[in-house]
Amino acid sequence: MPLLRMRNATFASGTTFVGPVSLELSQGEHTALHCGGAQEAAIVALLATGIVKASSGCVLIDDYDPHVQSVHCKRIAGLVPHEPFLLDESEFDRYVAYRAALWGIELRRAQTHAALLRRRLSGMHESFAYPLIATLIGMPRLIVLDRPQPAYAPLIFGVVGRRGVLSTHTDASAARAFCPSGPTQLQATQA
Amino acid sequence: MPEWAYAVASDAGLTPRALFAVLQARLWAQRRIVFCSCAAAFVAGLVQPSGYAAPVFLCSLLGIASALAQSPGIHPHLDRGEQSAPLFGRELARAKALVPCLAAALAALIYAGAQLLRGAPDVPLTLLVAIAAVIAATLTALCATIRSGTARVFYIILAANTSAAAYALVVAGRSLLAELAFCGVVAFFALRQYGEALARYDPI
Repeated sequence: MPLLRMRNATFASGTTFVGPVSLELSQGEHTALHCGGAQEAAIVALLATGIVKASSGCVLIDDYDPHVQSVHCKRIAGLVPHEPFLLDESEFDRYVAYRAALWGIELRRAQTHAALLRRRLSGMHESFAYPLIATLIGMPRLIVLDRPQPAYAPLIFGVVGRRGVLSTHTDASAARAFCPSGPTQLQATQA
Repeated sequence: MPEWAYAVASDAGLTPRALFAVLQARLWAQRRIVFCSCAAAFVAGLVQPSGYAAPVFLCSLLGIASALAQSPGIHPHLDRGEQSAPLFGRELARAKALVPCLAAALAALIYAGAQLLRGAPDVPLTLLVAIAAVIAATLTALCATIRSGTARVFYIILAANTSAAAYALVVAGRSLLAELAFCGVVAFFALRQYGEALARYDPI
């Protein structure tokens, strides 16, 4: 059973229109989507995590529909946003406790997990490592990366393990870094 | 439905720990606003003559400002955490609503404390009237945070009018019960409306 299934999924709001997006992603698979622009990449990432609901078409996260079972979808899919976190070290510890409380994870377990991930991501700048660590402590089975830095691809794959990974990009070479077999080109966005 | 999902379904929901985490994180992020609100309330409480106008209008204004500080984009890391957290919109609304309500109620409490220091009469009654009006105005203003343009302005004006109506009921109408009932009804519907809007909210 695919972890993420998108069938002609579109998002429309005002003058913004994204899609249609169709893809299937199973546990352990990596897919990179080459999008036309930054907003399109961000919206596709939000659609894939169930934070934004599709206007038409279908998005299923482990067979759950974000329109109906959004809480289940958010347990399974974790979003790593593009924007870096501008937090210092003491604030990040507080942020880990906050995320652990929202996801109902034991605090000590979350702190230990975060410390381990920080050691493994020691080559990554904190601003980019913190969002990834914050997402991984929620134990999602699907990681959605919104325009990740291509230089950090090996480090990211080193910590995500057997999870399914979907990344959105605006640059073809960045997309190739996350999917050497060839990124999927998103269909042209209509205005 | 996969077997794994049943374990998730059983622990889904807003636990007191999650509620406290949202409260703590947002109050910490907005500690300067909370401190300035309390300082303003203290100074006003010391210099203002006794009566309902100053606590009701000043604390409502502080509550509206605290509510607007919950708008998306001001603390993006908290917004993203809450949007992606496994919580229903109405649960998140309750947690987020508690933040400005607590900040505004604290300002009202400090105003009352300052009034007590200068020996003003009827301080507990003033505090009761102010807190009721402040909570109703704050919750109404919260509905503005996830709207833009005319709708945002409409909710801010509605929030200001809520405290004006509460003041009118208690001063012109001379009915404390009517003011409490009015504020209770407004607060209930405002929180419900905020929860519904937050559940449908798309952060684009």
